[in-house]
Amino acid sequence: MSFISKIRETLICLKAGRVTLPYPYQPRPAPEKFRGRPIFDASKCIGCAGCANNCPAREILVLDICQEIRILKYLGRRCTYCGRCADVCPENAITMGKDYETATNNIADIQQKLELFMSTCQRCGRCFKEPSPLEQLKLKGYRFDDLANERWIFKSKSYLDNFKVSDDIHIELD
Amino acid sequence: MNEGEIIKYLRNRFGNKIRRTDICRDRRFYINVDSDCLKDVCKVIFRDLDARFITSIGVDERQYNGGFLVAHNFAFDSWKLLCSLQTNVDGDSPSVQSITDIVPASNWAEREFRDLLGIEPVGHIYPKRLVLPDGWPDGVYPLRKDFPYDSVPEGFDENRSFKFDDAPPGCVVVPFGPFHPTLDEPAHFRLYVEGEMVRGCEYRGFMAHRGIEKLGESVLTYNEIPMAAERICGICGCVHNVAYAQAVENAVGIMPPPRSEYIRTVMLELERLHSHLLWVGLACHISGFDTLFMHCFRIREPVMWIAEKISGNRKTYALCLIGGVRWDITEELNQELREVIGKLETSWREVVKAVEKDSNLQKRTRGVGIADKKLVKESALLGPVARAAGVPIDSRRDHPYAAYNRVEFDVVVSDFCDVWGRLIVRMYEVFESIKIIRQCLQKIEPGSIQAIITDEIPVGRFGMSSVEAPRGECHHFVITGENNRPRRWRVRAPTYQNLQGVPTMIKDQQLADMTLALASIDPCFSCTDRLETVDIKTGKVRVYSAKELETLFLWR
Amino acid sequence: MEMMIKILSALTNVVIVLAVAPLIEGIMRKITARIQSRQGPPILQPYYDLMKLLIKEDIESGESPSMQRFSAIMAFASALTVVALLPLGFGYGLSSHTDIILTIYLLTFCGVCTLIAGLAAGSTYSLVGISREMMLMIPLEPILAVALIIAATNSGSFKLDAVLNGSIYNSPGIFPISSIIILVIILASFQAYAQRVPFDISEAETEIMDGPLVEYSGPKLALFKYSRMIRLVIYCALFIGLFVPWGSNLMFPFGFLIFWFKVLLLVLLVTVVAATHARYRIDQAINYFAIMLLVSFFALALASIGL
Repeated sequence: MSFISKIRETLICLKAGRVTLPYPYQPRPAPEKFRGRPIFDASKCIGCAGCANNCPAREILVLDICQEIRILKYLGRRCTYCGRCADVCPENAITMGKDYETATNNIADIQQKLELFMSTCQRCGRCFKEPSPLEQLKLKGYRFDDLANERWIFKSKSYLDNFKVSDDIHIELD
Repeated sequence: MNEGEIIKYLRNRFGNKIRRTDICRDRRFYINVDSDCLKDVCKVIFRDLDARFITSIGVDERQYNGGFLVAHNFAFDSWKLLCSLQTNVDGDSPSVQSITDIVPASNWAEREFRDLLGIEPVGHIYPKRLVLPDGWPDGVYPLRKDFPYDSVPEGFDENRSFKFDDAPPGCVVVPFGPFHPTLDEPAHFRLYVEGEMVRGCEYRGFMAHRGIEKLGESVLTYNEIPMAAERICGICGCVHNVAYAQAVENAVGIMPPPRSEYIRTVMLELERLHSHLLWVGLACHISGFDTLFMHCFRIREPVMWIAEKISGNRKTYALCLIGGVRWDITEELNQELREVIGKLETSWREVVKAVEKDSNLQKRTRGVGIADKKLVKESALLGPVARAAGVPIDSRRDHPYAAYNRVEFDVVVSDFCDVWGRLIVRMYEVFESIKIIRQCLQKIEPGSIQAIITDEIPVGRFGMSSVEAPRGECHHFVITGENNRPRRWRVRAPTYQNLQGVPTMIKDQQLADMTLALASIDPCFSCTDRLETVDIKTGKVRVYSAKELETLFLWR
Repeated sequence: MEMMIKILSALTNVVIVLAVAPLIEGIMRKITARIQSRQGPPILQPYYDLMKLLIKEDIESGESPSMQRFSAIMAFASALTVVALLPLGFGYGLSSHTDIILTIYLLTFCGVCTLIAGLAAGSTYSLVGISREMMLMIPLEPILAVALIIAATNSGSFKLDAVLNGSIYNSPGIFPISSIIILVIILASFQAYAQRVPFDISEAETEIMDGPLVEYSGPKLALFKYSRMIRLVIYCALFIGLFVPWGSNLMFPFGFLIFWFKVLLLVLLVTVVAATHARYRIDQAINYFAIMLLVSFFALALASIGL
């Protein structure tokens, strides 16, 4: 009978009690494997750009200022916290933090910029040990993403503009 | 019948019009026919062999063989086969015979490849623009390979507006959407209402079109696409993730290790649990019954918590890579999952017991949104909508994938054909999902969770996969390609088919029931609108000329 | 002097109800929340809501803004007028100078103001909403009128103080059959008077976006919300006065407290029914009320022949 159903429905709440959590008046920490904001550790990073090439949202930019200095910038705009950068990093320099309250007025709070001193390896990409052929680095050479306008550029070159060595082949992959 | 017998039957009837057939592993087969007999072969397959239509796909292959490829995918559910019927079409002015008079369900799929690729379906019953925005210039086809993914076409006319069909005589027009409290995503149903009865409806959708298929072909790589696929839908994300990974694995023959298959099954069933619980709550909310809405969400919350513990996020699990999964279920998580499931089962049993005999809720839902067996067959409706009409199709049983061939479960079917039937089907499917999860947790084998891939993925292979989403069958079709990305990736979400049946379901029903009937197919408009290009939003930034900026700004 | 006291008591009525009606709504929301296993808003939340709405900018966004203002103010004013005239637990105040016809007129006028509100707004959804409201008002107002008339028949006078002191049970026959019948009918349709689920069809948020009130915001919406809360108190007071008046006539503190206690009990009943039901469709509701109306006419016939 419908009446009994209604009584049953009213009484469901007695067993369940009050389930409202007091967040945000009390903190609620995220569980252990939570994928929050990625944190880059500059001391471990070797500048291989494996994270940049495998980021689905193209949120990590790489720029070679000169032969020795490479800038890696994490823009927090479209990051989906998927964790591929952390998976793929050969030096475990990226950890997914536990931060989920990341609202801010100033995007610079979330962005991370690493300035890396590159030793004489000519950025061939060999220091990136890919887990499978599906994560191959396709851009080997000097990178020049547009940091000022925050754009990814699908090209790399075998020489830098101001260090043009010879009329070399222009490596344009993709 | 098996694949060989079907092919022999077709060859007997059509002789050498059938150019090429391939029988692949996992009971899939591909037939390539001459374009002039495409319609006749479809007729034989659909009517005589009683197949179910899945989708139609257009592929731009002009740089490989000078033409386009049109594929119609069918499923033989009782024989557990998936088939793709293909034909090559001329590259300069591509046109193909339309099959909408035989298979009404192909209405939208053909309009889609007409809009996006320019392949003209000759004889289509309703060739109106479907996907592209109103101001898009004619003759520019976004999904063709020569159209870059981030360009804005010349001649975009911001003043051009949509021409609605005429209303039947004597009817008032009631607009439903694009902004409405019941709809989560924008969709526009233009209802023609006489008094309180709905006499007709025109649907205009594809407002949340994000260009995911084009991104998959031009920007993303094989292992990045699962993250994009997951975001096709807010609530059945895991399904698209798994379906894509399976399609590529099917295309090239990668076998994921058994442990990863069990984990995929567990996560898919967890997703089904929370989706069905959400839907039951939503149906009650729409009929004004907020108490049950709150209880459903309260019962559902532990599922989100355990998913967060396993995969790192409540909803977007980011589960699959090609060849395996990323997250493992440890012993403790196994234990915890069993407890969560146990508690869920007891709470849900109370709710089901209370709701089954509730005549107040039944009065609102009986006789509403009727979709009988005939409509299910013609419009190829899927999932709980079909099962509530008595048609027992379920891709987990008919086209087994992941670990479903190693667990036992029943397919819940009801005969009511209306919203009450769908409510019953979804409520009982929760119990079946719980049964499947328990069996998987028991049978899970130790081992690795990712296959080791040593070679590059070969080019030009075809792969199909059908996964049972909470809303119906979700179908992905992949052609592998160069540069570590697919050449073509087609997603057919279940709501795509179910929405085509909605105008018939709400005809001659009360206006007040319209929301309930629409919600009963569990619409996921984000799944439906995921095709083509032009991401004008600031996500894809590029430097525009002043004139382009002006056009953009005005259009927005 | 007598007149002064009566006018003073009428004004006191108004003040009390203005202060207490949002509190009753807050209690309803809290109980609904507890039935739904959640914490719910604080009990004083409706006061905060009204205050927030009153300090907003008064935007004009409908077909005829002057009619919108008129309907908002009139809905509030007519509800308050009825409150001034009803007995609310301490003597009869001005109710000895009122009769039931005035009460029925004012209550219907309050309902008509909602209809005018929807018409003045002029959007498709508000028009659908007022058509539903009209269809519901057609059986509902007569049912209440029948109840008051039966009481009037049995007490011999149309004056409100004679009607609202339990005289409905004073029928000349042995057993007041008609009164019992009409009690059951009013109980069964009380949810519609209180404008709560399962009969809040005209304000169905999920179907037609709040019906007649869809174009209202700011102070006008505050007035409509307030008048809705006050109407709940009015109908509770009418019900208690007609059918369960015992105890309200005691000395000042006790009668007053007993009256408001009875109001709270009735509100509790309304809340529990509202929390556990789905909303009915308009045609189902009309069928239901048509039956109620027929039975109430039958009860009226019985009362007129003295049963």
